Amino acid sequence: MAVYDGLKATQEHLLDVAKACALAAGRAPALTHRLEIMAEIVTDEDLNPMIDVLATLGENSAFQLHDAVAFQDLAKRGMMPPVLLLGADLTKPALWDCGACGFKTCGEYVKYTSRNKGVGIGGYGPTCVWKAIDFGTAADFACACAARHCAEARIMFSVGAVSMLLGRLEGASFVLGLPIGPIGKNLWFDREAWKNILNFERKMMTQMAGGPSMWMAFSGGGNPILKTKPRWWEDPTFLKVEQDATFIEKDVNCQAKAYEKIMRYRGVFGDEDIPK
Amino acid sequence: MARIHIDEWPPYSPSDQAKKDNVLIVAKLMVNAALTAPFTGGVPGHEAEIAYGQKELELIAREMERLAHKEVPERLKKPFLYEAVMVRESDVAVFLGNKRAHETPMDVGCGLCGGEPNCSFVYERLNHFNGIIDTTDRSRETAIKGPVCVVRAHDLGYAIGSALWVAADCFVDSKACYSVGLAGRNLGFCMNSEIVVGILLGVASKNPYADIPPNYHLTNMSKQVDGIRKITTITRQIPNHPYHTFDPAKKAGTKDPGKEE
Repeated sequence: MAVYDGLKATQEHLLDVAKACALAAGRAPALTHRLEIMAEIVTDEDLNPMIDVLATLGENSAFQLHDAVAFQDLAKRGMMPPVLLLGADLTKPALWDCGACGFKTCGEYVKYTSRNKGVGIGGYGPTCVWKAIDFGTAADFACACAARHCAEARIMFSVGAVSMLLGRLEGASFVLGLPIGPIGKNLWFDREAWKNILNFERKMMTQMAGGPSMWMAFSGGGNPILKTKPRWWEDPTFLKVEQDATFIEKDVNCQAKAYEKIMRYRGVFGDEDIPK
Repeated sequence: MARIHIDEWPPYSPSDQAKKDNVLIVAKLMVNAALTAPFTGGVPGHEAEIAYGQKELELIAREMERLAHKEVPERLKKPFLYEAVMVRESDVAVFLGNKRAHETPMDVGCGLCGGEPNCSFVYERLNHFNGIIDTTDRSRETAIKGPVCVVRAHDLGYAIGSALWVAADCFVDSKACYSVGLAGRNLGFCMNSEIVVGILLGVASKNPYADIPPNYHLTNMSKQVDGIRKITTITRQIPNHPYHTFDPAKKAGTKDPGKEE
C-alpha cells in the first residue's frame, strides 16, 4: 500500500506516455512502406543544450524565442516535460520517378543529392516528398497517441531542428520534437512566461506585419499611412519597403553564435577555440 | 420503424449498401480529423473529397490501370494494378490534397527541398513573378509537377495520419495509396492540389488490403466468382435430361424410384 503524490506521479507518467507515442509513431502506416522512424526521449537537464541554442537563435527571432522561453520557464518550475525526438532519413528516394522533388527520375535526384546535400534552418535536403509525407503521418500518430493519453503535447520544428544540429538521432535528415506534457491546462497555448516578453507595441507590430493591409489607409497616393494609433492621421506612420542591413547583421551574428555553441556542445570546438 | 439488414455479400446488394452507408459516415468523420490535425503553423492548406458509389470507384480503378500500363515505372506497375482491385473492393475512397505545396511555399528556408537555408531550390525551378508562383500552366512532364515545398507536403502526412487514426478507431480497414491519389487527382478529385493521396476504406470480414497473392489483378475474388459463373453454366448443360420424369441420382433398374443409390 502506498500513497502517491498526484503531481509527482503524473509527471513521472509522462515518460510512459512518451514511450507509447514513440511506439505509435513507429506503427504509423506509410505510403512508401520504406521509412524507418528513429526516436529518442530526452529529459530534464539533457534538454539544456537545446534550450540554450534555441534561446540564442531567439535573440533575433520570435519563433525560436517563443519556445525557448517556454522551456526555460518549465525547467524553473520543475515541470519540464520529456521531449520525444522523432527523426528519419528522408533523403533516400521512394523510387517512384514521380517528379515531385523537381527531378524527372529518382536517378537524377540521387545524382544531384550525392553532390548537393545541405542543411537549412530545419533539416537536410533535398528530400523525397513522399518520405516527408510518411514522416508527417508518423509524427501525427505520436501526437494522436499523446492526446489519447490526455497528455498535452505540441509538435515542434524548433526543438527538433536544434536537437538534430546538436547531433541527436544521427543519420536523420529531419528531426521533430514532441514535448509530452507539461501537466496542467493548455500550457503550450497559454504561456505564462511569454506574457511580459513582448510589450503591447511589439505584439501590435507583429500583427501588422502579418496583415498590413488591414491597417492601411488610402493607398493611391504612394506610401500609404499605416494606422498604428487611435489618432493615426496625426503625425502619421507610413508603410515603406526597404532593406534592413541592421536586422540582417543581427541575424547573421545570432546564427554564428548559435553555430559556435552547437560546435562546442558537440565537442568540435574546445573552449580555447572560441573567440572571446 | 425500419429493419436494416447488413451483410457484406453480395456486393452492392441492399444489405451491402447499408454497410457502405456506415463507412461513408466514417469517411466524413475522417475528413474532420484530417482538417484538425496539427501542422506547420496551423496554416489551413488541405482539401478533401470523397468518392462513393460503384461507378465512381470503377472510374478511379480504371485510371489506375491506365497509369500502371502507360505512365508509372515498371516497379510500380503491379502495385498499381493490385490497388485498382482494392479500389473495387472498397466501400469509399477519401482524397486528401495539399493546396499549398506547389503554389504557396512556407518560405521559411527550412532546407528540406534543396538543402539550402533559403527557398531558392523551389523558386529557381518554377515559373513565378516576385515569388508568386504561376500555376496556370498545368501541363506535366512527370506524374507530379515539381519541385514542391516539402514542409507543405509534410503537412499532408499529418492529415493522412489523423484520418487513418479515426478509421482505425472505428475498426474500418484503411489504406492510404499514392496510386489512388494520383488517379483521383487526374480525374479532378482535389483539383486544387498537385499532391493528392487516396485513402481506401473497406469493411469486410477479411481486410481487403492485406494478404495479397501473386498476380492479384487476375486472381482476386471477383475474378474467381466470375470463373464460377463462366464454368457452372457450361457444366450444367451436359446432363440435359427430362428432370420431371428422370432422376439420375436414383438407382437405375429398381422398382423403387424414390430410393437413393
